[in-house]
Amino acid sequence: MRARKEPVRSPAVWIGFVVLMALITPWYFPAGSFEPLLWGVPYWAWIILAASLALSCFVAWVVCCQWDMGTDDDPEA
Amino acid sequence: MELAFGGAAGIAVLLAYGGLMLAVGLITYLRNRHIHESLDEYYLGGRGLGVMVLFFTFFATQYSGNTVIGYPPTAYRIGYQYLVSVPFFICIIAVYLFFAPRLYALGRRFSLLTPVDWIDMRFRSRAVTILASILMLYALGNYLLEQFVAIGQGVSGLTGGTIPYQVGVVFFIVIMVAYSWLGGMRSVAYTDTIQGIALLFGVFMLLLGSLIYFGGPGTAAEVMRREAPDKLGAPDAAGVAHWFSLIALVGIGAAVYPHAVQRIFSARSEATLKRSFIRMAFMPFATAAVVFFVGIIGIAAFPGLSTGESEQLVGRIANALATRHVVFYWAMVLLFGGVIAAIVSTADSVLLTFSSIVSNDLYGRFVDRDASEHRKIRVGKLVGLAAVVVLVIIAWYPPGTLYRIFVLKFELLIQAAPALILGLYWVRLNTRAVFAGMLAGTLLASAMTFADWTPLGVFSGLWGLLLNLAICVLGSLLLGVKRADEAHAVEVIGMR
Repeated sequence: MRARKEPVRSPAVWIGFVVLMALITPWYFPAGSFEPLLWGVPYWAWIILAASLALSCFVAWVVCCQWDMGTDDDPEA
Repeated sequence: MELAFGGAAGIAVLLAYGGLMLAVGLITYLRNRHIHESLDEYYLGGRGLGVMVLFFTFFATQYSGNTVIGYPPTAYRIGYQYLVSVPFFICIIAVYLFFAPRLYALGRRFSLLTPVDWIDMRFRSRAVTILASILMLYALGNYLLEQFVAIGQGVSGLTGGTIPYQVGVVFFIVIMVAYSWLGGMRSVAYTDTIQGIALLFGVFMLLLGSLIYFGGPGTAAEVMRREAPDKLGAPDAAGVAHWFSLIALVGIGAAVYPHAVQRIFSARSEATLKRSFIRMAFMPFATAAVVFFVGIIGIAAFPGLSTGESEQLVGRIANALATRHVVFYWAMVLLFGGVIAAIVSTADSVLLTFSSIVSNDLYGRFVDRDASEHRKIRVGKLVGLAAVVVLVIIAWYPPGTLYRIFVLKFELLIQAAPALILGLYWVRLNTRAVFAGMLAGTLLASAMTFADWTPLGVFSGLWGLLLNLAICVLGSLLLGVKRADEAHAVEVIGMR
């Protein structure tokens, strides 16, 4: 039986989520700043959206590559 | 929300929708007549939901009609600082990854039916089980109430008041109860799929129409720059604290929603569950981001609305679009059908889980252990119906704005998270500490909510959770754990 993989046991998963949590929270922009605007959207909103997309991609990676409990192989599990 | 175009077209869409849902329930019933004999079949669809249906039924637990009706007004009022609604929906899926893999495996191994089922098996404590059940039932009841109010407002808005609020509530609740009773989780999941598709289509058309007729975010930015630059600006320290606490509260709270957890048990396989989660991780960009920008565009389209007026923003936009072009007229009729469909789809999931906790965790465990599964299901249905009647009476005269109620339910539900999640990993977790933490967290969060006290801009539910966690961890370290309890935990978790 192959090794079981669980996201919670992987340091890379924890580090990734901590970094991305920091990036999706807008603490690192000067309060009240909004310029430059790109297509009418403030620069910081673009950065938050990009970080959010990175978080979605990271979640997808964790689900694909860090989660394999072998439940589908083992009817008793 | 008053839509001048509503009237007959609105009534026709709602009747057609109601008929379709009933047909789904009836067909499901005819094809699966045995489901009323088994809790697994009735409440979990026989643990056989495939990727698409599982995805849409997860979708329905997270995105309701409120996402469409309630989020744009908030974006309208606070501007870009409400962009937090995109990452907080992604965080719900991220939080799942910290417990769903193991919980799914245990659900298969021990045939778990509800989240309380897991808590009961892990801690073997009547007190913990009952407290967790009460917290979950309370949160589900609150959530259901919110959906009922939204159904009434949506129906009355769509039909331009032709169908009064109360008639709308009763009509859809009767239909919802009927198809849920007929087909259980299968009907709920199939109708969730139809409802999800209707909602996605409507929201997309709403954004498209807004972009065409009211200008994009650029026009809105000019208005904000002139009249309210703070709506464009990055948040200050208090705004950042509010942002972060909303992510934490919603991320954890929505992930441990009992009806969401129950869906983990319904998956046909681990692979199915994983594929549904990957799709869910990207959905905030197709839903939360879209309705957020509708709210931003509304700032230019309808400037200067008061708080009360802004609550009707989506109705105003839809009304304006409907008069511009026949395509948008029908798209907006379908949007409101989709919105109501989405509210009903969230409500049906909640009601089914409510009934399952009553059937399995309270009645089946404490009242009549030897009852047949058929009888447990019947008791769950009837108690669920009684709760619906009580909630309808409360919903008859709806309470305050939706956003306020929305935050209230997470405050208490989140207190079940340590038992649910820590219990999966830590075999030395002390049962008495878990109970004390859950109770103290609940009391603190409730008191702070009633006092409207949010120190450092952090929601009261999170302060309750912090106290809860501290008591769980410190209590377990100080009190230790009985050898027999630890052995039981090792046996149950079984994969350390």
